[in-house]
Amino acid sequence: MKILEVEKMVMRFGGLTAVDTLNLNIDQGEILGLIGPNGAGKSTAFNCIAGVHPPTEGTIKFNGENTNQQKPWDLCKKGLARTFQIVKPFASKSVLYNVTVGAFATTDKRADAEDKALAVLQTLNFEDKKELKSGSLTIADRKRLEIARALATEPKLLLLDEVMAGLRPGEVDEMVGIIQGLRDSGITIFVIEHIMRAIMALSDRIVVIQFGKKIAEGTPGEIASNENVIKAYLGEEYGTA
Amino acid sequence: MTGNESLAPSDNPSGGSAGHSSVSGSNTGHQGVSPRKKIEVFSLLGVVLIAFGLPLIMTSPTYLHIVILIFFYAYLTTSWNMVGGFAGVLPLGHAVFVGIGAYTSTILSLQYGISPWLGMIVGGVIAMGTGVLIGLPTFKMRGAYFALATIAFAEGVRVMVENLNFLGPFNLNGPRGLQIPPVNFGFANFMFQGKEPYYYIILIMLIGVILLTWFISRSKLGYYLNAGGEEPEAAMALGVNVARAKLIAMAMSSFLTALAGTFYAQFSLFIHPKSIISLDLSFEIAFIALIGGRGSIAGPLLGALLLRPVSDFSRIYFGDVFPGLHLVIFGVVLILVMIYQPRGIQEPLTRVYNRLINRLTKEGQAKEAS
Repeated sequence: MKILEVEKMVMRFGGLTAVDTLNLNIDQGEILGLIGPNGAGKSTAFNCIAGVHPPTEGTIKFNGENTNQQKPWDLCKKGLARTFQIVKPFASKSVLYNVTVGAFATTDKRADAEDKALAVLQTLNFEDKKELKSGSLTIADRKRLEIARALATEPKLLLLDEVMAGLRPGEVDEMVGIIQGLRDSGITIFVIEHIMRAIMALSDRIVVIQFGKKIAEGTPGEIASNENVIKAYLGEEYGTA
Repeated sequence: MTGNESLAPSDNPSGGSAGHSSVSGSNTGHQGVSPRKKIEVFSLLGVVLIAFGLPLIMTSPTYLHIVILIFFYAYLTTSWNMVGGFAGVLPLGHAVFVGIGAYTSTILSLQYGISPWLGMIVGGVIAMGTGVLIGLPTFKMRGAYFALATIAFAEGVRVMVENLNFLGPFNLNGPRGLQIPPVNFGFANFMFQGKEPYYYIILIMLIGVILLTWFISRSKLGYYLNAGGEEPEAAMALGVNVARAKLIAMAMSSFLTALAGTFYAQFSLFIHPKSIISLDLSFEIAFIALIGGRGSIAGPLLGALLLRPVSDFSRIYFGDVFPGLHLVIFGVVLILVMIYQPRGIQEPLTRVYNRLINRLTKEGQAKEAS
């Protein structure tokens, strides 16, 4: 069953076409990667799917329902969560407080929300930092906090926007493990990433976009050997290597 | 050999004892909860008891008047804090709600003989509607633009009231304001000869609004307001309808603020636009909140306790020589606080309080152990 279907989506800002007739879909339980050069429209595509901008043309279907005009908070309650490329912690509040905000998506009681937030922190090995102010966290922990908050909303589909950018290699490996664990727990994952090692290891399929248009789609192996992709994004060294 | 010896102890702290120390830390925290709570409950009860007993000790009407105004401003600022503090915007026109409350209950009682208690609620409801109407278009604005819009609205209302003798059938009496003749004293008419009843009314209102704020700050709404105030985009992605949360806060804040307007009208028995819908009043509320600590529960009360006496005494002692000196003092204090304590005086005070309690509980535990 397709959890997300995007058909002929176009997003224009004035005269600029950021996303151009993009088609893509994700199966339940799949990890789909989205790659492309800077400014290709990856984050804009995410914003449209998450309800930040209604697309100019085309349709977005989440769980079979047209969600073109739906707001981010409604989509969140239906099971679509996302993280931000530029992390946005509630900086003056503790880690636990941050995650509890997410947990309130499915409950009105503070005690329940806090319990759920603690459970999420435990699964991410993050519990020891629950009392720390989120503004004082390292970049790796801030990325982890983004995921923790999103997970606390109990998503069916999770959009991850460059959660590994700025991490050290060891931390990248840990994050890959975390994301695989999430998929094993039944969450479908749509991930934007620039770190090729990570996205190749994670994804079942990869979509490549350039100037808002899809230029390739396929398994990591197919993408790595695709000539268009090598020219547009990966570079000659990657192809020969 | 020496290499092995140095390895063994260095391995332990990095792995095992880090976990241990955090566990033992949280353990003492749990044990510390009960004596700490005990002290907090007792000191809170003590403060409330002193507050209720104060008029018995303080018989001077002048001082009682000053304390009543402290509570009045603490109440106003706590109401303001629901929007200005938790929701992270800066409304600078709350005097308009004070005015709506004061004028509504006064007109209803003067022209129709309706008890101010009932008028208080009617005024609150009208203010709530007005607050939502102001919030709908302005909550999309950011920072200074929202503040300017609220100032413009409040000033517009003040100018309108100053220039209208009648609004439909209601007698506003323009810039001369409305006087409530001091007859028919009694609880039903919200009018008393001494100051003590006013003292107890505003004290109960203050306790009520602080309890409400405390309750909200621990509820879903409080979390949503804080989140939406700090990072609206992130909050929306986490399921928070930021605009709706702010509107709810605005509705509550404007309703509660209007109740204080009725109190003020009945307390001074004279209202006019310059005193009650003035920018001065709006600014003073914001000053108190900023100095005391925006977004904290104790901040408004601390701010009012610090600033109101300054304002009153500078008015008493320098009023003739130097009118408006209290605003200069406000300004200086505000600048100093913003430079040295940008989160308001509640933060250092909370730190001192925590240290004090920790010392007390530790001593308590030591005594229990011995």
